[in-house]
Amino acid sequence: MNGPLIVQSDKTLLLEVDHELAGAARRAIAPFAELERAPEHIHTYRITPLGLWNARAAGHDAEQVVDALVEFSRYPVPHALLVDVAETMARYGRLTLSKHPVHGLVLTSTDRPVLEEILRSKRITPLVGARLDPDTVAVHPSERGQIKQTLLKLGWPAEDLAGYVDGEAHAIDLVEDGWALRPYQQQAVEGFWHGGSGVVVLPCGAGKTLVGAGAMAMAKATTLILVTNTVSARQWKHELVKRTSLTEEEIGEYSGTRKEIRPVTIATYQVLTTKRKGVYPHLELFDSRDWGLILYDEVHLLPAPVFKFTADLQARRRLGLTATLVREDGRESDVFSLIGPKRFDAPWKEIEAQGYIAPADCVEVRVNLTDSERLAYATAETEEKYRYCATTATKRKVTEALVRKHRGEQTLVIGQYIDQLDELGEHLDAPVIKGETSNAQREKLFNAFREGEISVLVVSKVANFSIDLPEATVAIQVSGTFGSRQEEAQRLGRVLRPKADGHEARFYSVVARDTIDQDFAAHRQRFLAEQGYAYRIMDADELLASD
Amino acid sequence: MPDPSTAEPSTAQARTAEARATAATAPRSLAEALRARDDVALAALLHARPDLLTPVPGDVTQLATRAGTRASVVRALDRLDRFALQTAEALAVAPDPCPYPVLESLLAGDTGSSGEDNGARAALPRALGTLRDQALVWGDDDRLRLVRTARELLSPSPARPSPTGLGPTVAEATSGMSPTRVQEIVATAGLPATHDPVSAVSALTALFTDPERMSALLDQAPAEAHQVLGRLVWGPPYGEVTPDPTPPVRWLRDRGLLLPASARTVVLPREVALYLRGGLAHRVTEPVAPPVRLHREHRPQLVDANAAGQALAALSTVEELVKSWEHTGPPVLRAGGLSVRDLKRTAATLDTTEQSAAFWAELAYAAGLVAGDAEADERYAPTPAFDGWLELPPAERWSALVRAWLPATRTAGLVGEQDSKGRTLSALGPELDRSAAAEVRHRVLGLLAELPEGGSPEPDALLARLAWERPPRGTSDLRARLARWTLTEAEVLGVTGRGALSAFGRALLEGRDPAPVLAPQLPEPVDHVLLQADLTAVAPGPLRRPLGDTLAVLAEVESKGGATVYRFTPGSVRRALDAGHTAVDLHAFLAEHSRTPVPQPLSYLIDDVARRHGHLRVGAASSYLRCDDDGMLNEILADKRSAGLGLRRLAPTVLAAQAEPGALLDGLRAMGYAPAAESRTGDVLVARADAHRSPARSAPAPVPDGPPVPDATLLGAAVRAIRAGDLAATAVRKDPAATPSGGSGPGDLPRTSAAETLATVQAAALTGSAVWIGYVNAEGAASQRVIAPVRVEGGFVTGYDHTADEVRTFALHRITGVAELAEDQV
Repeated sequence: MNGPLIVQSDKTLLLEVDHELAGAARRAIAPFAELERAPEHIHTYRITPLGLWNARAAGHDAEQVVDALVEFSRYPVPHALLVDVAETMARYGRLTLSKHPVHGLVLTSTDRPVLEEILRSKRITPLVGARLDPDTVAVHPSERGQIKQTLLKLGWPAEDLAGYVDGEAHAIDLVEDGWALRPYQQQAVEGFWHGGSGVVVLPCGAGKTLVGAGAMAMAKATTLILVTNTVSARQWKHELVKRTSLTEEEIGEYSGTRKEIRPVTIATYQVLTTKRKGVYPHLELFDSRDWGLILYDEVHLLPAPVFKFTADLQARRRLGLTATLVREDGRESDVFSLIGPKRFDAPWKEIEAQGYIAPADCVEVRVNLTDSERLAYATAETEEKYRYCATTATKRKVTEALVRKHRGEQTLVIGQYIDQLDELGEHLDAPVIKGETSNAQREKLFNAFREGEISVLVVSKVANFSIDLPEATVAIQVSGTFGSRQEEAQRLGRVLRPKADGHEARFYSVVARDTIDQDFAAHRQRFLAEQGYAYRIMDADELLASD
Repeated sequence: MPDPSTAEPSTAQARTAEARATAATAPRSLAEALRARDDVALAALLHARPDLLTPVPGDVTQLATRAGTRASVVRALDRLDRFALQTAEALAVAPDPCPYPVLESLLAGDTGSSGEDNGARAALPRALGTLRDQALVWGDDDRLRLVRTARELLSPSPARPSPTGLGPTVAEATSGMSPTRVQEIVATAGLPATHDPVSAVSALTALFTDPERMSALLDQAPAEAHQVLGRLVWGPPYGEVTPDPTPPVRWLRDRGLLLPASARTVVLPREVALYLRGGLAHRVTEPVAPPVRLHREHRPQLVDANAAGQALAALSTVEELVKSWEHTGPPVLRAGGLSVRDLKRTAATLDTTEQSAAFWAELAYAAGLVAGDAEADERYAPTPAFDGWLELPPAERWSALVRAWLPATRTAGLVGEQDSKGRTLSALGPELDRSAAAEVRHRVLGLLAELPEGGSPEPDALLARLAWERPPRGTSDLRARLARWTLTEAEVLGVTGRGALSAFGRALLEGRDPAPVLAPQLPEPVDHVLLQADLTAVAPGPLRRPLGDTLAVLAEVESKGGATVYRFTPGSVRRALDAGHTAVDLHAFLAEHSRTPVPQPLSYLIDDVARRHGHLRVGAASSYLRCDDDGMLNEILADKRSAGLGLRRLAPTVLAAQAEPGALLDGLRAMGYAPAAESRTGDVLVARADAHRSPARSAPAPVPDGPPVPDATLLGAAVRAIRAGDLAATAVRKDPAATPSGGSGPGDLPRTSAAETLATVQAAALTGSAVWIGYVNAEGAASQRVIAPVRVEGGFVTGYDHTADEVRTFALHRITGVAELAEDQV
């Protein structure tokens, strides 16, 4: 017994990556365990009920899970854990949602006491109709999502066999001229299509748009694409025209400025969640066509109201795309129940190793504040403390030194506070892109940056969302949204796209020492370190000295 | 009890004669039967029924008597397996004495009546042997006798139905009946009439025990009568009837097939029931122990590996539990035990359920690793034995735990339930001992050991087997629950793995030391960790002890199991620095024990924390001394007299002192300095005497500094006094006793006898003249005075003292002598 896997009593699995069987073990446990941390030597997976149900939904059974654990485990697997795995997995599928020829949507149980138990729940009662027979109860078709969500919370996830509507057919094909879907993208598309609905997790820069395009080519139906903002919408449109048989005319944009509904419509979360007089006027978009596929870009940012609409869309195929299932609001289970289980997942490092994303050198630069800054920080109001230490003049100087050091390389300076960015823009003599910058101006600047006409760009948190800056090799973040991990992932993603010259990307975080800035940075970086992107820590003084 | 034997009287007599003839072989009493046993058999009896040994019986008669006592018999019956008990029950409803074939047909059915034989016939000798060994049955096979007490306990009565479901015999049931009624029954049953009730009853009995005639009789019975019999045949044999019974009941009653038991009930006589049952005493006999079926068969290696993993987990759980009580253990409840809240807290610490936390606590307690500390405010704390236990190798630590567990009678499973008085049973508390626990535990493991290696049993089959071996009495299922707990506990302890007995579990059961068997199964402790850039360290196995302990200080444990995941945080690194490690130590420690290069962020973290560690210093001082002139402070520090003040330099111009501010001020003043006290805000404090108040007091009288101006009277008196003093000093006294030898000079005290003194003084008082006296006051000081006595009474002289110029009283006995003054001097 000398396997690569150590099964811990807290249901984490430690995988020794350098072990010769590590690859086989990884493949065996990937269907049911969530990769939690992937630092250099030992990767941590976690067995969660959600993960086990994901595996059940994908057709794995408890026996396979137990066998995988026992086969690769170095030490005996705690018996209690095996029992727990079997019990948890047995909970899935006792309830099924299906279509009844006469009664429409029905909830059926193979285990009557379970049905009795859930029907007694106050949260279920309003969602179900008449009891058709001891094992079957009618469900209001409009509550298909709601009941799935609620059942999951009650610990009895329902298997949704009610199927999908095909939607309005529309010819879409990939035009693979001189490029092809990468193997993992192909796997992701197939994984999704086989499962019907679900989420594909790929690192930033790994080509999620193409996975979306691949799925559309599979569905060959009208598609509604939900994205985070207008820039991202334009990029989707651009990419789709380039990669598929779709023409400009077939793709509509539904945003604050334009309200086009075409066979393929790209809408922003923002416009959908606009509320007027207590109602969401753009909700009808979902019903405006008989959509065959709904694509959610950046699922981890999906705003709460969109969840609510999604609950009503359970009869349509849904594909979620994201770099991380981590949600700062902890609503991962809603993603599972409403969009679908995770269908594909690949560690960043693995895709990096295949050469599809650029390796990155992450450096945290610790800045010593001056005495007067420290005093000011000490006396600042609690809610002002972060802003103060994140925007100190010393940090600005260090940032300038970094930009100088990487003169000639495409550099992004990313920050949270507009004043700070304006000031930096002024000192660096670089354009600033922020919320108020018009979309036309943004695209112009992005183009100029892409073409290499300008080499330094200062951006606010608009950069958190899908903008595509292929040639950024250096990113410097000066401030962020407190300890947001997914923001960190997004920002790192800015520099992870493969460089033409194979140049290593650099990602700097400028952090004020001994302040709350340092604590937040530690929190953000932990996520990256867990993705295998270890930070080096450097003193600003060294940097300035070498400057 | 009349002998209900079916044997012909002549045969019985013949047997008695035969018994007498062969008295040596056919015992007449239990005592005789026991006496005839050899020593081995007697030893076996005493082994099976150890209660007979206390106190050691004087002789076999005493032994037999004691073996027949109710308490001892009940105890022995309780310990019988199901078939032996059924055999005893059958004997209790059989004639006494009972020949072997009769007993056999009671248990296996009438010969040839039913083809199926479930093994009762084959198993009977064993069961009978058990009963004989236990001295519950004695006598030869043709005269088997159940000990009388056992017969009383097991034979049916209306109050206590027998498990056989049989009723009384015809003879018993008719004993209170009028002879006329018996005659009627005999007549209706078609038997020849007889006037003798005894022969009538035996005729009826003979009818009921004759299958052919019974069959003929019952053929005539109406169909409903068969239904009635069918309801009563397997018991309970009693049925209620109305005063005017239905025709089928009446038909049966008239023929004695039902006999009245009371005004409203009838009973099915035993002989009739036995006929209807085909001679069986029990509906279901279980002559053979139900087999413990295999649930699954695992590879023995897998079982041992799993159990070893579990054993390791058990060790760390116990260690964690006891260590969590190391500093402030949970208080001992007044009634003993852990409070529910503390149990919850412990469960949270161990990340387990309360039930399992109770088990671990009980285990640690049973192994002597924790106990109450016997302080006034009693708390649970690790015992000194715990430290010794920690030092042992893992396998021996495990051995210590399971060897405490196996024979323990404390049952953690009961924790949280309520006792008969409604009090909740608390972990480590009283009332948790169940004497059956140890025995059930042994037996469960014993049954597991009988399975093929690596086999795990079906729990229900195992429980059924246990129930067969010791049939449960009444409604209590304690033994079944104990067995279930044993299975769970054995699994979490690693005595079993995947439900099958492990090799070291087997060693434990067989009384061997399990440690050597377990040791090779335990993962070799590792001496290295893997350090990662996300500031974690993974120990891919159990760590060697000093390494693990140091790491536990330096990093937080994040995940436990086969491996341990540690996370370095600023707080944990600081803790290590606080514990006396230096940054250099820590770097060296990590470099030495890491298989992989130390990640840069981790080195940075250590240096960064070390940089700030101890940057701020905190200490205690009672007062401080500051002075802008550091030279003066140097001077004070150098001064030997300042040694007692506990001065220490904190900064050039500041000294800290251990002395209180007041003492410091006094000390400095004594050294000749002029220090000023400072208030909390740094102002100079003006010294004021302590504004202390006495209790309420009246003001003192004034003390004038000079004498007041004397008035004329005073002056006069003064003069007189002077004169008097003068007089006293210079008086020429008449020699009182005219003692020429008196020789007393003018300065000597006058000496006179007491009577003379009194007379002289009295005379002086009468005449108002003055006398000269010598006087010794209370302090013993002698003086000479001139007084003018005024009154003499009660031993005192009151008079004007010319010397003091006031009226005074003098004690007569203190007057040494008295002399009249010369006339001319006054």
